[in-house]
Amino acid sequence: MNNFLFGRYLPGNSWIHKMSPQSKLLLTFFFVIIIFFANNPLTYGILICLILLSILMSGISLPYFLKGIQPLIWLIIFTVALQVLFASGGKVLWHWGIFSITDQSLINGGYIFIRFMLIIMISTILTLTTAPLAIADGVQTLLHPLKKIKVPVDTLALMLSIALRFVPTLMDEMTTVMNAQRSRGVDFGTGSLRQRLKSAVPLLVPLFSGAIDHAENLSVAMEARGFTDSEHRSKYRVYHWQNRDLLSAIIFLIIGILVVYFRS
Amino acid sequence: MARKTNTFRMNMMAMFVAIVIIQTTVPILGNIPTPWGLEISIISATVSIVTILMGTLDGAVIGGIWGLITFIRAFVWPTSPIAPIVFVNPLVSILPRILIGIFAGMTFSWMMKKTNKFKLSASLTGIVGSLTNTIFVLGFIYLFYRAKAPQLYAVNIKELLPYLLGIIATNGIPEAIFSGIIVPLIAEPLKKVFDRRMHA
Repeated sequence: MNNFLFGRYLPGNSWIHKMSPQSKLLLTFFFVIIIFFANNPLTYGILICLILLSILMSGISLPYFLKGIQPLIWLIIFTVALQVLFASGGKVLWHWGIFSITDQSLINGGYIFIRFMLIIMISTILTLTTAPLAIADGVQTLLHPLKKIKVPVDTLALMLSIALRFVPTLMDEMTTVMNAQRSRGVDFGTGSLRQRLKSAVPLLVPLFSGAIDHAENLSVAMEARGFTDSEHRSKYRVYHWQNRDLLSAIIFLIIGILVVYFRS
Repeated sequence: MARKTNTFRMNMMAMFVAIVIIQTTVPILGNIPTPWGLEISIISATVSIVTILMGTLDGAVIGGIWGLITFIRAFVWPTSPIAPIVFVNPLVSILPRILIGIFAGMTFSWMMKKTNKFKLSASLTGIVGSLTNTIFVLGFIYLFYRAKAPQLYAVNIKELLPYLLGIIATNGIPEAIFSGIIVPLIAEPLKKVFDRRMHA
């Protein structure tokens, strides 16, 4: 579970690695939207081809992607089963109580499986090729227009970067506290609901008070270095819109048009 | 409460965002799985605690960020089989979480003015925060999925709806009780640490 956001980034030198984070974010959103337009084998086939091309361009071997799906596999199966058992419409093949399987629901179940896979794949490509801080930078660039309506975009982006930076730190502290509690005989994640809830309290207090300490120390360190506000900062890394971003965007756009054109 | 500096406030918020991110990823800290399928969420308690310490607006922001994480995870990393059906609607995933901060903040300031008892106020804030989450998520699910099947999954939601609501209702009550117990337990010692930092 800890690898969901962090420690997944694989440094590399591929086409997708070199793309700017904002265009990767944008294309990921675009792809997820396009997925909802696909509704027949041809359109899903086009999207699968695009994903395979993206995986190839990322220069990361397939097992990494399969590893990303592994912890989710039961959930996917359950959701597909839910879809198959509760669907309506089409010829009824099997019926029992509130459950019924129709030919339509079987096809829909298959589509949902593919849909799940596609969305997980595209997000895995994003997190494998983009460092968390680069993602925060990308979000900042994309939200820039909101500055016009007085949204403190830069402050929010800096907050997000600091938060991402401190997630592993707080997680480490958490592990320490949990081990300390375990050595005193606390059993996490088992027992009755009451016991599980009870074991959460001695974890949360040190987590919060540690966070307050970090915030205090960090503010002193930042102010000592002359930090006043985040709206007028310059950046260490600047991402430019490159030709490869443009080309990728054109490919995604063409695929998008094809999917909308061929959908039934 | 006099705010020390904007930098401290921003860093404090960043830490709370980090905590929410951790709570959504580490099961023991955020969602406690129950035998009946859904999960009891401690994160609404976190939002209540943030509201008590930092004020209504900041609580609402942290709630909104929790909602945003839920929304994104509904697509790419769902926590439960029901998440991809209902949480892909930002009105279900994000709005109720922003309201937690607002209602919890209103409860806390009202109670403090009325009784001036910190523990009691914090407890009620936790209950209100948790119930806000449950009631609004439930209410929006009912509003949006009563009429038509959701876009992403063509599940026959009409037949599923009573089960869904039942599950969430049986979940919401223990969650509120838990929140009412845990929020004062955590908020009281933190308040001391926090105020010391604020006025240092």
